[in-house]
Amino acid sequence: MPIDYTANLHLLTPEFVLTALAFLVFTVDLFLPESRKEWLAGLSVVSLVAVMVIAILMRPAGSVELYGGLIVVDSFGLFFKIFFLAIGVGIIALSVEYGRDRLDHRGEFYGLLLFSILGMNLMAMSRELLTAYIALELLSFSLYVMVAYGLREARSNEAGIKYIIIGALSSAIMLYGLSNIYAALGTTFFAGIAEELASPGTVSPVLWVGVALLVVGLGFKLSAVPFHMWAPDAYEGAPLPVTAYLAIGSKAAAFALTLRLFAEAIVPAVNRWDEWQLVIAVLAAVTMLLGNLVALAQRNLKRLMAYSSIGHVGYALAGIAVLGSDFALAAKSVVFYLVVYAVTNLVVFAGVTAYYNRTGQDNIADLAGLADRQPFVAAAIAIGLFSLAGLPIFAGFTAKFYLFAAVADGGFLWLAGVAIFASLISLYYYLQVLRQMYIERPPNPDHAEEEHEPADGHEDAHGHGGHDEPPVPPMPRPSLLLTATMGVGLLVVTWLGVYPAPLLGLIDAASAAIVPLG
Amino acid sequence: MVPLLYFQLLGAALFGIGFYGVLARRSAVLIVLSIELMLNAVNINLIAAASYLNGTGRFAAFDGQIIAIFVITVAAAEVGLAFAIILRMYRNRGTVNVDEINLLKW
Repeated sequence: MPIDYTANLHLLTPEFVLTALAFLVFTVDLFLPESRKEWLAGLSVVSLVAVMVIAILMRPAGSVELYGGLIVVDSFGLFFKIFFLAIGVGIIALSVEYGRDRLDHRGEFYGLLLFSILGMNLMAMSRELLTAYIALELLSFSLYVMVAYGLREARSNEAGIKYIIIGALSSAIMLYGLSNIYAALGTTFFAGIAEELASPGTVSPVLWVGVALLVVGLGFKLSAVPFHMWAPDAYEGAPLPVTAYLAIGSKAAAFALTLRLFAEAIVPAVNRWDEWQLVIAVLAAVTMLLGNLVALAQRNLKRLMAYSSIGHVGYALAGIAVLGSDFALAAKSVVFYLVVYAVTNLVVFAGVTAYYNRTGQDNIADLAGLADRQPFVAAAIAIGLFSLAGLPIFAGFTAKFYLFAAVADGGFLWLAGVAIFASLISLYYYLQVLRQMYIERPPNPDHAEEEHEPADGHEDAHGHGGHDEPPVPPMPRPSLLLTATMGVGLLVVTWLGVYPAPLLGLIDAASAAIVPLG
Repeated sequence: MVPLLYFQLLGAALFGIGFYGVLARRSAVLIVLSIELMLNAVNINLIAAASYLNGTGRFAAFDGQIIAIFVITVAAAEVGLAFAIILRMYRNRGTVNVDEINLLKW
């Protein structure tokens, strides 16, 4: 049966436009003088918004398959596309100042960002393993380069090496799983896997190995716990905006893929084989406990955020584990959690970037007295961390409430208990950061200890009042763009915490598109 | 005719050797080469499976040999990237020994 590979091709217009614009950014970069590279950031933001508009205008009614079912354009994909493009805008807002001051060749940075977003979009739309894999690699390859972007910084290089080696290893494991699935089934479509798992009779061990290795490969990409060891190093060594992007974008994309994979390949077989729920549940419990416990010992902010993000992956995985019980509820709460997590993290990272751009410091102890020096930055970080910890009013509470309720409803009461316990642990280290900002005195320049030496060196450049009576070394204002990012982010975080209904309505429509039929 | 299982065992052995190499090697370059071994195990699996599935009725539109070509392409790009980053490391630190790449830990 011949497949019409050009049918409905126009539905991919957003992706084609995004590809073209990414190449355009690379090309324009060649002709722009060094002083005008910021234009590329503007061009990238304009292209992301344009693609967003095109994607919304060209959305089909219902879901439409392309390339004989390799890719599907539906409301789930559309929702994640808009989400990823918005993340891209946020990350560009974070990187403009950082790139200008601290990165070489920053023009290509924006092009790579656009390509990685293209990869993320395709991940949310693919319903076949090889397509999903190629999309994942497009994302990963861009990220490898972006993590190692600090050309002359040994730490950035080291993060890049660790990330690419573990990333390539996980790809190899995933592909080996794919090859076994192909050998067992003769197909790599998600639906084909579900058909075989759900059909009566013994399932070939080759297929078991394949599915297991596939999940392991995804575990690496999600940084779920036994496969998380690359994450803290990659986060710490990467340039700050890239750290934010790793924490927000690559996680969200990996979860979009995981959601669709589970919805189409694994959940339909739940009646015949539901042990997978327990496997994922244990994975989730270990991930949230270990991520949050190890975070207690961290001194570096980026590393703290890395472990905290591992903990958050654990919560979202708990939602994946109950997909088989009440699919619509679980999928909805996972997606909502991802959105909230992304916005909240964006606020925190905008605050940390604002601080880092002015001082070059990223240790938790360096934040001492920030509330006196830059109250707004401190407040943004504080509210972001409160939201991550899941305190009421802020979005994090609503998201965790929905998610944990879904987990408990799905028959995993113990997992919901572990999740609440893990949230309590996380509150401790988030409050440590707050203690530094609001209670600790800022480093006193009069008797500057050794570890604060670099801090004073930086401060001297900005204010000469160091040796006078006021013990608060002034910190220059953060850039307008970062302040605006924090402001908008804070508004969204509060809004989603108080009135999440409109977003939940959209998410309902999105996750309805992938509800398994069986 | 050689059974498919033999090819799968060959693939598994190659995959295991590659995985051992990733864990045991100390040079970043050799680790990347070990990952290449793992990817070639994938290719053996795919191509063998494709030629066996060809006779059965389960042969789907998406061919194992095509997947193998994709894998080769992606692997080539991956090696290029990995060596570029390793080269950077070598210029900055003068070593590619992963035991000495230890600025970031805990």
